[in-house]
Amino acid sequence: MPLTRASGGEVISTAVATPPTSTSPPLADSRPPADTPEWTASAGSAEIFSPETMILKVKDLRTYFYTYDGVVKALDGVTFKVHRGKTTGLVGETGCGKSVTAFSVTRLIADPPGRIMSGEVLFEGADLLWGLKEEAKFTPIGDTGRVKVKRKFRRIKAANERMSAVRGRAISTIFQEPTQAMNPVFSIGDQLSEVLLLHRGMAIIDEMMKATPDSPAVGRAGAQLIDAARTGVREEIRAAAIRFGEAAHAPSVGTQAFYIVRATTSRPDELRRELGRSLDRLRLGAGARRYLRYQRRLLEIQEKLNEVYFSEMTERAPHTTARLGLGRRAGQLRLSHFYYRIPLVRSRLDRALKRELFWRVVHLLEGVSIANPVQIARGYPHELSGGMLQRVMIAMSLSSEPDLLIADEPTTALDVTIQAQILELMRDLKTRVGTAILLITHDLAVIAEVADDVCVMYAGVIVEKGPVREVFRRPLHPYAQGLLASIPRLDQPSKELTSIPGSVPNLISPPTGCRFHPRCPYAMEVCKTAPPPMTIEGPGHTVACYLYQGPVENA
Amino acid sequence: MDAPVVLSVRNLRKYFPIRGGFFGTRVGDVRAVDGVSFDIREGETVGLVGESGCGKTTVGRMLLRLIEPTSGHAYYRPPEDVEDRLDELYRQLPATTGANNGGSSPPVRPQVVTELDQLAAKYSLYRKSPRAMRKLRGKLQIVFQDPFSSLSPRMLVKDILSEPLEVHHAGTRAQRAARVTQLLRDVGLNPEHEWRFPHEFSGGQRQRIGIARALALRPEFIVLDEPTSALDVSVQAQVLNILKKLQVDQRLAYLFISHHLSVVRAMAHRVVVMYLGVVVEMADTDPLFTQPLHPYTQALLSAIPIPDPELKRERVVLQGDVPSPAAPPSGCRFHTRCPAVMPICSQVDPPMLEVRPRHWVACHLYPQGIEAAAPSESTASMPAPLADTPLSGTAT
Repeated sequence: MPLTRASGGEVISTAVATPPTSTSPPLADSRPPADTPEWTASAGSAEIFSPETMILKVKDLRTYFYTYDGVVKALDGVTFKVHRGKTTGLVGETGCGKSVTAFSVTRLIADPPGRIMSGEVLFEGADLLWGLKEEAKFTPIGDTGRVKVKRKFRRIKAANERMSAVRGRAISTIFQEPTQAMNPVFSIGDQLSEVLLLHRGMAIIDEMMKATPDSPAVGRAGAQLIDAARTGVREEIRAAAIRFGEAAHAPSVGTQAFYIVRATTSRPDELRRELGRSLDRLRLGAGARRYLRYQRRLLEIQEKLNEVYFSEMTERAPHTTARLGLGRRAGQLRLSHFYYRIPLVRSRLDRALKRELFWRVVHLLEGVSIANPVQIARGYPHELSGGMLQRVMIAMSLSSEPDLLIADEPTTALDVTIQAQILELMRDLKTRVGTAILLITHDLAVIAEVADDVCVMYAGVIVEKGPVREVFRRPLHPYAQGLLASIPRLDQPSKELTSIPGSVPNLISPPTGCRFHPRCPYAMEVCKTAPPPMTIEGPGHTVACYLYQGPVENA
Repeated sequence: MDAPVVLSVRNLRKYFPIRGGFFGTRVGDVRAVDGVSFDIREGETVGLVGESGCGKTTVGRMLLRLIEPTSGHAYYRPPEDVEDRLDELYRQLPATTGANNGGSSPPVRPQVVTELDQLAAKYSLYRKSPRAMRKLRGKLQIVFQDPFSSLSPRMLVKDILSEPLEVHHAGTRAQRAARVTQLLRDVGLNPEHEWRFPHEFSGGQRQRIGIARALALRPEFIVLDEPTSALDVSVQAQVLNILKKLQVDQRLAYLFISHHLSVVRAMAHRVVVMYLGVVVEMADTDPLFTQPLHPYTQALLSAIPIPDPELKRERVVLQGDVPSPAAPPSGCRFHTRCPAVMPICSQVDPPMLEVRPRHWVACHLYPQGIEAAAPSESTASMPAPLADTPLSGTAT
């Protein structure tokens, strides 16, 4: 991972120096000279739009699904940005294209029937829709309005391989249904281990090689830990266990030691034996070391390959595999993906690696406040409740320390008290790790609680976006207004519930012009003719509606 | 003073057996519902709230005898004097008969038991003969949670709506057809829709068909089992408004089951809060939401996100999950997660006391009972971090 990170950073800086398409919007030129609002000229808004603070930029994204009934235009020109260290909410009703947006960003749209048609997804300057144009050919069948799609599967496969440089490690996703996103036949520990090994494997192997289980410091720290165990104070045991791990230069031993102390009776001799045994797994023989070096080499090749893929997506440099001297081996690696299917490798040699990963998983589970992580890591997905599984999912997607986390309805299946726990966790994550979050939900209340910016979607287009406070205080689009008025409020009970008449349109033949006009109370003639442009109505606050005549946004 | 009672639920229990061992012997019980009591009056909505697995749905289904209870009764339309007598008799029974009750209770007089049995034979739903029950079913209806699986995909809307009328031999064919049109109008659908199949409708429209079906036999009482949790907010508002209008027009009694407290606040007149099969708090809607007494209710309320980014509240975030109802914690069932836990909580099951007029709570924080508990006093006895957590929040 560090390799990719470092070179990725370098690449981005070049992208910033010569911006491919994104510059700060020239507001000064486009705004009408007559009334110049203060905010357009302020330095603050310029900073909001600059690429340094931006991690993801989606522009004019179109994703269609080719079904027997016709072409479903699920996304029809979606444009938004996610800023570094900020939470951006994507809110809308069922079927408005929120999840399709998330899947399109990581190119996880099932193809067939779905296809990303056009648009731009820039992540850290890398074009994630790399090679999209060459993937499929569309030929209209007569004048029936239907098309024949011919896919080039080699191209699609190549794009998928490239995306593995991004998926999971740079952008990770929390899926909506934790019960369906986990594999029922592998234990939770194994599933998390796999992710850890893939994304942080080299660092983990390096640390294992450097561990010093036999140094005198370990003995001293062990004695202190046994003393601490006698006191029975949780915090003291925890601190002593961490020191024990540090002495052995293996933090996972610290985690393991903590649970050994908690599990065994306080008899010192027994405890000493158990602690000694925990160190055994780091006393690596020549065979194990050779095996680890081999694993590390595989991971290194993968890492270099990812780096190449990432730079290809950024600079569009052809055939850089040759430049890195990977040559044929890169091709072999693709065939040998089996190496990370941990449960399938049953040799005695990898036992050390497996145990190391297990205790690191336990540490990860502690991080998402799971009470008994050792049992949970040994357990299987069906044994856990929805809230627990969702926390496991979060631990999994955070294990690679992603730059961007896509949370697709992370709390929809959960009870309110559990939802509060998960939201607390995500808020904590934002402040502690600085991860940018793309939060997808239909619950405006959740957005109000955790998001910084919000995009309101309706029928495949974004109708309004802006800072959360701004949008909630002054919703501009009639749809956003209706949505806010229709929520039953706990704090304002007497308010009459207003509803938006009608229902969400069919996306095979969406309404012409503004897609909201059949349900809109303010619909005018112009609304039926052409989709309204996105106009700027405040600092960072834009809306697509003919009711407003602000300067047109050019993203 | 109040409207007549439609259903009076007393000490309702449902234990689901856990089968195990060699021959499927009963190795334990899941205590889904463990002693629930409340009244539902004409034209009133009672909100039943709690987390998933707390037994809300089981209570709703038992009231329609879709599930037979293990013990307890639901008295259908008891006259006022009978109701008073019931209250008196139940007061003489021990508060709970479950294993949770640590203290010993005085023996029950046999006269009480026999009189209760006589009253039950006369008024309880669970003592009705199949024939009598079938007649009653027209009066007691349910709207299910999932509008996608609760309507038969093979039937036209008109068949779905006239089936209950046919089963109960209501009216002639022409009258039934007229009733179907009327029903569709009542729930805000177009009469032409009767010639369509359910799959041609959106979720909100299907849920309205479900409501129309429940209304077909002019019921007195409808169980609404999470009627809007599968719907989007804009559509949810439509359905809730229809339900409210129907209630006013037809003096319906609703049992509104939901985990969504904001919706309950908008709909219910009285709220019953359940936790792990028992009722922990019961009050009129406004007092419950503005001055919740039980720590669980307080935590539940503070966990609800409020759609206003300017409003920042102190939160009580409960740790951990709901314990398994197969092995509920001893004493007060909430003590494992309670932020204000005391030593007594793990030993004695707190009784349900009317701490304020029409406000019942089962919690050891309020031992004063009816007489001593002036509102100011009970607020003072609340734990400090909870006491200064007003629900309305403080705008920043």
